[in-house]
Amino acid sequence: MSDKDTIISWLERVERRIRANRLFQELTVGLTLFLTFPLALKIWDLFYPLRGRTISIVVGVWMVSFAVYFVWRLLQKETLGQAAASVDRKAGLHDELKTALWFIRNPRASDWVEAQIQRAARSTRMLEPERLFPRSVPRTSYIAAAMILVFVILNFVPLSWNHNWLQLQAAPAFSLTDKEEAAMKQAVELLQKAEKLQQNELAERIEDIVKQLQEGKIDASQAAAMLDDVQSKLDEGNLDLGSINDGLEEIAKDLQNSNLTKATADAMMQKQLDLAADELRKLAEKLGLNTPEANKELQQSLQQASQNPRPGLEELLKQLKEAAESLKNQDQQNAQDSLDKAAQELDKLEDQMQAQQLKNLASEQLQSLEQSLRQRQQNSQGKSQQQRDAQQKSQAGEKGKAGEKGEAKGGQPQAGQPGQDEPGDDERAPGEAGEPQGGSQQGSGLNPSGQRGGNAPREGAPTELDVKLQQEKLAGMQDKGSKPEDIEEASKQERSKLDYRNVKSELSPAQKDLLNQDQIPWEYRPLIKNYFQAIRPPVKK
Amino acid sequence: MSTAIDQQIETFQEQFKRVRDEVGKVIVGYTEIIDGVIMSLLASGHVLLEGVPGLGKTKLVSTLSDVMHLKFSRIQFTPDLMPADITGTNVVQEDALGEKFLEFQPGPIFSNIVLADEVNRATPKTQSALLEAMEERSVTVGKRTHKLDSPFFVLATQNPLEMEGTYPLPEAQLDRFFVKLKVDYPTIDSMHTIMNRTTKIKEPEVNRVLSQGEVLEMRKTVRAVPIARPVQDYAIRITLATHPQPPYAQPLTMKYVRYGSSPRGAQALVIGGKIRALLNNRVHVSCDDIRTVAFGALRHRILLNFEGEAERVDTDTIIKGILDNTPEPN
Repeated sequence: MSDKDTIISWLERVERRIRANRLFQELTVGLTLFLTFPLALKIWDLFYPLRGRTISIVVGVWMVSFAVYFVWRLLQKETLGQAAASVDRKAGLHDELKTALWFIRNPRASDWVEAQIQRAARSTRMLEPERLFPRSVPRTSYIAAAMILVFVILNFVPLSWNHNWLQLQAAPAFSLTDKEEAAMKQAVELLQKAEKLQQNELAERIEDIVKQLQEGKIDASQAAAMLDDVQSKLDEGNLDLGSINDGLEEIAKDLQNSNLTKATADAMMQKQLDLAADELRKLAEKLGLNTPEANKELQQSLQQASQNPRPGLEELLKQLKEAAESLKNQDQQNAQDSLDKAAQELDKLEDQMQAQQLKNLASEQLQSLEQSLRQRQQNSQGKSQQQRDAQQKSQAGEKGKAGEKGEAKGGQPQAGQPGQDEPGDDERAPGEAGEPQGGSQQGSGLNPSGQRGGNAPREGAPTELDVKLQQEKLAGMQDKGSKPEDIEEASKQERSKLDYRNVKSELSPAQKDLLNQDQIPWEYRPLIKNYFQAIRPPVKK
Repeated sequence: MSTAIDQQIETFQEQFKRVRDEVGKVIVGYTEIIDGVIMSLLASGHVLLEGVPGLGKTKLVSTLSDVMHLKFSRIQFTPDLMPADITGTNVVQEDALGEKFLEFQPGPIFSNIVLADEVNRATPKTQSALLEAMEERSVTVGKRTHKLDSPFFVLATQNPLEMEGTYPLPEAQLDRFFVKLKVDYPTIDSMHTIMNRTTKIKEPEVNRVLSQGEVLEMRKTVRAVPIARPVQDYAIRITLATHPQPPYAQPLTMKYVRYGSSPRGAQALVIGGKIRALLNNRVHVSCDDIRTVAFGALRHRILLNFEGEAERVDTDTIIKGILDNTPEPN
């Protein structure tokens, strides 16, 4: 390998080494700088929670930017000249390699040049790029690592409003208050418990509504309307618990007339229907052991009890009646069956009543949640309405003033058009966290859900200033003053076209020479300079 | 091939060292001044020494001529000195037949080393007599031009004090000096050595260590040293930065400089750099070399404006600013 090849290949090695070191250094610095952004965003998120979409966009842009930066730096190569200059500086070669490289690229037939290249090649053989440019971990990498650590810690800070980005959590578009959250959960739990009523689908529906609300797909008023719908579905097929309870009490009173059904009657009075059912079953089992008088007494008691018609108790009364008739007919087997069936009806009634109670509780929670959402919607609409009113007032005030000045050209000042002045309300994203949005409903007389009617304050038609300004004729005017003359523009500021530099001196060449002579003694020069500086016009800042 | 060049460099360094050591026997301290003077001699340039009287300027020059086999003459510049007193004149002579003819009587400038002592005391007319000699290496008297011997080396001295009755050298003449060296007061140690050497019965003697031919050979060696274009470009950029006009002007030059260096300044930087490279056993010129010689080569080529003179700005400060702000080539 010739000296020239030795130098070139060695410089190429150095260039690769320098580039790798530089890349590592720059990337850690770049990473540190880039990390400040998500870190700052995360800190911001702690105080003003950001939505998932916002975070996704920002982090996506951030990652793309960093990738572009990485590729850009990766593609940037050093020249061999730069590598030679770096080695000269590091190894104290006094531009030996730089000079040699230049002479290699610009060959010259000279023994001295050959000698120079030979010496440079000798120097490169004695130097090791690994020693000259050792790999080192830049300090910025520690900073970057610390920033990553802080970022991770911030994500795991145990605060209720903190969202762990690493677990793909983010603030919902609409956040429920703790009370609303509890109401929703309770309603769902109650509906899930009411398995016998098969209300699971309603529970899922509620969860879906809340999810849509949190994702910003629907606003609070729509959510309230949908909850209302769920509630109406929940109310379908409701039992009249009051009527049933009254009926049961009346049946219990009738059953107390017989000693055999006294225990059942007591259980029914205490609303312990399962116990009452058990007592009925016991009664059915021991029916054959009773005396004819007792059975007659039982038959009368059952007969009397079956004559209390109440909605929801039809089947129970039917079974009681059948049992009474079977006893009357001395058909013990049928009487036992009827009593068993009546016991089953009591069990079933017990379950239905419990489920109804759960439904009622769930309905209450749903109502509370719905009311809360409607209230928040109403508040936010009230705020935006106030802002619109204020804006309309200010616009009307400005136009009124303009009219007074006669600039309206005989026109009437117009009040702001509701629903047209603030397109920003409609364009606003539906709900950053913690701020329920007003949705797209605008205009007068709408309730928070966007429907006409309700208790929302009505907004009347905009008032108009029905005033026409009249031109006033001033003394000295020939006409009525109906032709006001507008001044279109201010007077223009212009520069003189005569260039200062072209002003000719009136001095003769001899006079100029005399003036240009520099005969100021050294001692006086500072004084003269100070004098001229003192009389210099102040610089305007 | 390389061995021959190495040998050449070694010889150059040895001869340079010999001269320096011999001069150092008489002149105490002033290593940089001695080096600067020898470098100027080898660069075919001239030196302007500036310093107060009594610092050994004249002694330095006379010692330098002693250590070389070179002809030396000294001209004391005074206001009544005439050009002919320097260059020589045609004198009417009579031959054996009694016919008269004009014969040129060479002046003191016809030497290898000329000491122009207190050069700023002579009138501009006399000073200008030096101009042709310094640049053209020839003297014209009447209609005849007389070549000067090679090497021809002018060492001019001037006193920065006592400016009364002096004629500051014109810019054109200043530019003809390769370097301007400032001779400062010696240090205490140097003073002790001076006392020891000069207050005894026997003063130190010097030997002649360099012949005229060797000087010329050393000059050839200097010129042979190659310089890469980027380094040369660096020297040129530094020279251009002494000018107050863009694009290379720097804040200090724009504020205090009226005129910058001529291309002769860049030449001085490059040749001075070559000599320094040889002295440092290198066969190429580095940016360090250029920077080292920049002060001597440029300080007399920068003319201050009124503001610079009023504030007594030193041209070395401006050069330092230029060197600090001119990036090395990559």
